[in-house]
Amino acid sequence: MNARWTILAGSPQHRTYKLVTWTLFALFVFLVAFAYVDVGSISIGDNTYNISLIRLNKAVAFAVAILGLQVVVGYTGQLALGQSFFFGMGAYIAAWLVADKDWPVLLTLLIVIPACFLVGVILGLPALRIKGLYLALVTLGMAQVFPSLVKLESLQDYTNGSGGKIADIGLEPPGWIPFDGIAEFLQGIPLLGGYFGDGPIPEKQEERLWKFFLFMLVAGICFWLVANLIKSRPGRAMRAVRDNETGAAVSGIDLAQTKTLAFGVASALGGVGGVIYVAELGIASPDDFTQLVAINFIVGLVVGGVGTLSGAAVGGLIIAIVPDWASGTQSVAFIPERWLQGPTGSVVLGILLIILTFFLAGGVVAGARRLKARIVQIVPQPPSGGSRPPVSTAVADDAADSTDSSTVEVG
Amino acid sequence: MELFLQRLFDAVSNGSTYALVAVALVLIFKATTLINFAQGEMGMLGAFFALQLWLWGVPMWIALVLAMILSAILAAGIERVLIRPFDPADHLPLVIITLGLFLVINAVAAIVWRFDPRSFPNLFGDGNAISIGGANLGWYTVGTIITVVGVLVLLQLLLTRTKIGLAFRAVSSNLESSELVGIRVGPTLQFGWALAAAVGTLAAAVFVANPVRQLEPSIMLRVLIFAAAAAALGGLDSLWGAVVGGLSIGLVQSVIVQYLNQWFSFPTTMSLAAAVVVLMVVLLVKPAGLFGTAAVERV
Repeated sequence: MNARWTILAGSPQHRTYKLVTWTLFALFVFLVAFAYVDVGSISIGDNTYNISLIRLNKAVAFAVAILGLQVVVGYTGQLALGQSFFFGMGAYIAAWLVADKDWPVLLTLLIVIPACFLVGVILGLPALRIKGLYLALVTLGMAQVFPSLVKLESLQDYTNGSGGKIADIGLEPPGWIPFDGIAEFLQGIPLLGGYFGDGPIPEKQEERLWKFFLFMLVAGICFWLVANLIKSRPGRAMRAVRDNETGAAVSGIDLAQTKTLAFGVASALGGVGGVIYVAELGIASPDDFTQLVAINFIVGLVVGGVGTLSGAAVGGLIIAIVPDWASGTQSVAFIPERWLQGPTGSVVLGILLIILTFFLAGGVVAGARRLKARIVQIVPQPPSGGSRPPVSTAVADDAADSTDSSTVEVG
Repeated sequence: MELFLQRLFDAVSNGSTYALVAVALVLIFKATTLINFAQGEMGMLGAFFALQLWLWGVPMWIALVLAMILSAILAAGIERVLIRPFDPADHLPLVIITLGLFLVINAVAAIVWRFDPRSFPNLFGDGNAISIGGANLGWYTVGTIITVVGVLVLLQLLLTRTKIGLAFRAVSSNLESSELVGIRVGPTLQFGWALAAAVGTLAAAVFVANPVRQLEPSIMLRVLIFAAAAAALGGLDSLWGAVVGGLSIGLVQSVIVQYLNQWFSFPTTMSLAAAVVVLMVVLLVKPAGLFGTAAVERV
């Protein structure tokens, strides 16, 4: 299969390509944020599908938590599935610090990250001996314990029991950002202007926009750090452990250290996700961190694509939106209305999970990459650093094909 | 003393149901070295089948047997379509499939039967068989014990005295060799799944037949962890081990945690956490469990 364009990794074209795609992506995010800051919805038949920044903000929180799962499950191959535990832990610590200690919400990350990292490492220690399915069992059990843990009477003062801990987040947008000006400019664009509402943005929505950009920034930093981690020496060690544990140990990789690091990083990311979640909702309640949430994270991991960073983002989006849209679907031809009430989202997610495991094991991202490979292909530099001619001959095409699987992707 | 006896009786009654679910887990583990995370939900669905049949006027015990057969057929289908295509040595896809089943079955049951709890007919009659002072041993508890022992004896007979039982034991002991001697591995594993689903349905029905419980879609969520702890404690490939494990977990929940609560004000809501701790300790200290065979890892 030949790509339409072939780009040599590290060449000036490659840099331009990266710059252009990332700029387009950032622009897209920016436009979506302004277009859907008011609660927008699409109606198809009698069904309404809400698209608004609230859901996108939730998706960002989920994406960061799933990013953690990518590190431990996707890259290190350890079936630690109880991510909702750390998600909840981060959320509760943040809620407590904001509500009772008057901390600004983003500053709570300074406590949440080390705390979750530490707990992740401690709870990960038994996992050095517990493997595979057993680890999955234990971690799912932990995820199930979490809600009853926060409802404990002795923690009542900190967590407010089953009522949930309400925190006044108060992320006010700073005055220097001209939201109204930007909105006015966007509304002035011919043809597309109509999508951006009319008039200035109400204060409430300005706050939402500000939150969205802040969360995207936090998430972006997380993704960037993890991308670097994966490319670094510890990251390579993680992948070696995933691919062949015994082989990795024989090659001199410290299994205990590598796994513990993976658990710690994953848990810390779960905590960051929790902070974003609580910063969006303003409340941490036990029902938001049940075992079902842990399973949803796994759905996000698998449907997005195990062992890919962009898969985490796709997965977060899917588990934030699918349940909501499924419950918004109130009438479908040939299906009695009664069957469309209740947790239809879980049915959709479960079926999605099974179907993708069968037909597209690499998730949505793998499918997208396969499509992308037909258009643009990035070929690694020849090892000699010499002057291989630009890829156009038949020989070079063969070489490009043979390196297909090892093609280094960015993002 | 009375209090202790009462707690002991509770432990036996809870432990018996954990033992039954654990037996179902063990059957599938023996067959496919897989922990079926959807086992609890499959049992719950079977219990709903039984309830629905009973509401339609079928006598209770017949309804239960029919439901067991139905869920066995369903499980055989699931094994054929969703489990068999995957390499049994690669755990991640299989875990994901069973988690997907978990989501789907749980949600479908909630859509069909709603979340409101329904009372399940009492399988074993009311009243107490024995009363010692203030401690009562209900007919329900006696019934569950008889059920567990009956199921185990039947399974033992099935596995040791029938041809398919022999094939099942051969496959669970060495898959490749049994394939070489001409055993049809696929259908044998399918038989394991069907058997597990039938036992799981019985377990769920017995569990919710307790007058203090009601049937609702999330009833088996907690039970699965207790049962998994029981199965791990007994050794994941030992049937009688599962019974011992189930009773031990029942003891932990209904006796030890209660006394911890009484003496050290340990919160009783933490009994699930206690089960997770037991599970963890067993896997750390003796991964093969009390009666299981130790796994050998080859490179």
